[in-house]
Amino acid sequence: MTGFTVYFLHALGGSGTSFRGVGDRLGDDIRTVTIDLPGFGDAVRVPGYTVAEMADHVLARIAQDAAPRWLIAGHSMGGKVASLVARRAIAGDDPVFGLAGVVLLAGSPPSPEPLPDDKRREMLEWVARGPLDDAAARRFVDDNTARPLPGAADAAAIADVLRTEPAAWRHWLTDGSREDLTGTVGVLDVPAVILAGTEDADLGADAQRALHGVVYPRARLVRLPDTGHFVPQERPDEVAAEITRLCAEIDASSPTVPADWARLLAAPGIEPRVRAALAARAIADDPAYAPRALTPAQLGTLRALADVVVPQGPQSQTEHHGTIDLAARVDRQLAAGGGDGWRPADLPPDVEAARLALDAVADSVARDAPAAVRALIAGELDAPDSRPDSLLDAAGLRAWFDDARVDLVRQWLAHPASLARTGNDAYATRGASALAAGDAPRGFAVLGADLRAPWEPPDLGAPVSEDTR
Amino acid sequence: MSPDEVDVVVVGTGAGGAPVLAELAAAGLRVVALEAGPYFDPARHTPDELDAVEINWMSDRLSAGDDPIAFGPNTSGRGVGGSTLHWGAFTPRPDAGQLRLRTETGLGRDWPFDLAELAPYLRRAERDIGVSGPADYPWDPTRRYDYPPVARNAPAQRMAEGCDALGIRYATAPAAVLTRDRHDHGGTRLACIACGACHQGCRTASKATMGTTYLPAAVRSGAEIRAEAMVHTIETDAGGRVTAVVYRQGGVDVRQRCRVLVLAGGGVETPRLLLWNDLANASGHVGRNFLAHPAAQVWGTFDAQQRGHRGYPSSLITEDFVHPAKTRQADADFAGGYLLQSLGVMPLTYATSLVRGGGLWGDDLMAALDNARFTAGIGMNGECLPSEDNVLTLSGEDDEYGIPRARIAFTAGPNERALEAHATAVMTRILEAAGATSTRVLARTAHTLGTCRMSVDPADGVVDGDGRSHEIPNLWIADNSTFPSALAANPGLTQMALSLRTAARIVAAM
Repeated sequence: MTGFTVYFLHALGGSGTSFRGVGDRLGDDIRTVTIDLPGFGDAVRVPGYTVAEMADHVLARIAQDAAPRWLIAGHSMGGKVASLVARRAIAGDDPVFGLAGVVLLAGSPPSPEPLPDDKRREMLEWVARGPLDDAAARRFVDDNTARPLPGAADAAAIADVLRTEPAAWRHWLTDGSREDLTGTVGVLDVPAVILAGTEDADLGADAQRALHGVVYPRARLVRLPDTGHFVPQERPDEVAAEITRLCAEIDASSPTVPADWARLLAAPGIEPRVRAALAARAIADDPAYAPRALTPAQLGTLRALADVVVPQGPQSQTEHHGTIDLAARVDRQLAAGGGDGWRPADLPPDVEAARLALDAVADSVARDAPAAVRALIAGELDAPDSRPDSLLDAAGLRAWFDDARVDLVRQWLAHPASLARTGNDAYATRGASALAAGDAPRGFAVLGADLRAPWEPPDLGAPVSEDTR
Repeated sequence: MSPDEVDVVVVGTGAGGAPVLAELAAAGLRVVALEAGPYFDPARHTPDELDAVEINWMSDRLSAGDDPIAFGPNTSGRGVGGSTLHWGAFTPRPDAGQLRLRTETGLGRDWPFDLAELAPYLRRAERDIGVSGPADYPWDPTRRYDYPPVARNAPAQRMAEGCDALGIRYATAPAAVLTRDRHDHGGTRLACIACGACHQGCRTASKATMGTTYLPAAVRSGAEIRAEAMVHTIETDAGGRVTAVVYRQGGVDVRQRCRVLVLAGGGVETPRLLLWNDLANASGHVGRNFLAHPAAQVWGTFDAQQRGHRGYPSSLITEDFVHPAKTRQADADFAGGYLLQSLGVMPLTYATSLVRGGGLWGDDLMAALDNARFTAGIGMNGECLPSEDNVLTLSGEDDEYGIPRARIAFTAGPNERALEAHATAVMTRILEAAGATSTRVLARTAHTLGTCRMSVDPADGVVDGDGRSHEIPNLWIADNSTFPSALAANPGLTQMALSLRTAARIVAAM
């Protein structure tokens, strides 16, 4: 497992130091980057305290970093920012690419955060006459931990609270926490893990399902007993273990986009909607995907056929990575009604044909998938006698399989890692939409064999200045 | 004329409907176009092939016969601009001899007029949409193009090398792609940036579509375009004349009365609408003689990375095989001819052809995809003879509007097979002469033609040489369905010229 970066966003009154324990416990194969939010930590002088402005700040840092594959992890307030960053990372307008998953640590939700009025009043009172003082800082840390933190972590937490910009503290309590971003963030169907303490109050383990369940349908919720709100400081072992586990799961269920190609996707010069489409396709498939058009058994048969028709690994040039669940993607396409504009006249509509055909070939595929594929293509695989009701004869099955093979290979090649593997950057151009953004359109000024423009990935040939062609 | 009646309703806004609309509006007629698809802002098109199908007609057609037609992105557009949203903008002119196919070969059909009749309209269409091409066109010394030729991409360079070695003439292809900015209709069309995504929708309006040429001209002359308006019913009076159409828009049926109706839905939708309404079919010819160009491709593998997705995809042409008799192709044992074009391609389109046209799967498929960047292609576009077996009928299954889906049977005949074999051998030789280390043939067809053909004899077609129904005097057809023969030339430019001519006849008849 290689190539993961985790960007950590801290809680109200925190900073990157909150994640020191977690970072120490993550292996060398997971790079950690902490980003202090405006008004906190090393960014105490940075203005802009709305959630969108904090997300701007984070996205600018991620864009500058240009890591090929990354998780966004947010603690409490940072969780709300993380959800917005995740949405924007797959919406295509920001010059970033590579979002692979989300980690929430007692995260604040995209919806208005539940915070009792008396508690909000008390916390506002702490900054009524300037920065928080020692007593308020002590009170804040104690309120948010189930047990005292170890000495160094406790001292760091207190120091972070004391250096917090009061205006930022105030803005989160009066406005940021109350912002309703549910429409903007929407549903994030991405690998995610949510960790929360049983001793936390409004953002605790019992509340998280209601706060984030709809937003993160694939999230694993990890309940941490005897834990308060300061999850990263209180439970660095568990947080590090869960992040490692999530990275391993992602690695197993998605191929990697090489760094040069991830940079191409993040940089200006491509259409935002293309970046969005490829960012969404780069998200690892859900190992627990529940089919929408097919039955689980039919999906299993299609997966077995996909392995034979579009074998994904091991790859020649890079080390072996996870594979794309092509069958699941075809199932989603079938459920969405996305056909190809025609079908053989003897076949029923696409979904029905797929169901009938997959049932008909299930036994043959289970017995010997490569043999079944050869027979299907040769038009020699008939529906078994046990299914005399099947509308599909051998010719029908063959016609269906022509379509199915096309669907499978298109889903494979539409993935940014596949396009990188096959050396195809056809998507990396931009038309008149660039003008509105103040940029020039970009096409291919260099057309010759074995030559490439300077902005194209290095494996595509020798660079030539676009002016000289 | 009652207040809710317009002079002319045009159904469809592609290369057939749009020039008619512009001409009729310019003549001062009150005209309305009804387009089944939505309006697209060119700047919002995407080169992503999965998403770009938004500009294609994706509601199933049912394909039968020995060579079932792959509709969808390859043949059919949907949206304001019709198939010109996705067309390749490859704009050769038709060959004079091919309009006299029956006279010359005894096969197929002649067109009701000769090329001289069409020539001024072809030139008009080239000026209207902006066509780039070479200063010297080897097969027509009089030919002049208004814009300098597009840049030749790597596949064009390979094809040129191969043609040089074999003594085949070639030229940079005529293309309705601007090589300089153009300001008209109140907007700017930019010079081509060579992004290669013509078929996914041009994002700089460099490639002519009806949406950036004839349609804005029509609107400036007072025409109205109603998008997402699917016509399903044609109403007639007791005398059989068309009085109105009914279309569904936003789930609501709307009746639009008209003095004249022009159908321009293309080779599938126009006959489907006529069959569904049981109109203009006394000859029994509606839906018959479906034509599709043999469009096989040969791809060669080279040592160097060609990456043919860069640049205008088909930037080289040879017309040496368009009229085999003229160029003394002794081994050409077929009627009609074909042209060849160099090919670059977008990745998913190529992968689809490898599977469907090349029959690849498994390790062979993955190896071909890994090698795709080293390949350059050549494609053909060839004559197709009419056949009794190749027919469009209504199926028993309704589409989302309650109209029966079209069922199209197509089987390539011996002439198509002979022509394709000849072309495939030539393309292979060119690629080998250019240094290809291996070649691969991918079978395909292209375009949807001929289902409501023009004829002099009312018993032999659906419309006369002007595009007017033999039976219903206020019903006209202006689209590819009227082609009596397929021609070797890609049909877009010819269609626009035909439509300009039909528009002049309509104005004269009003």
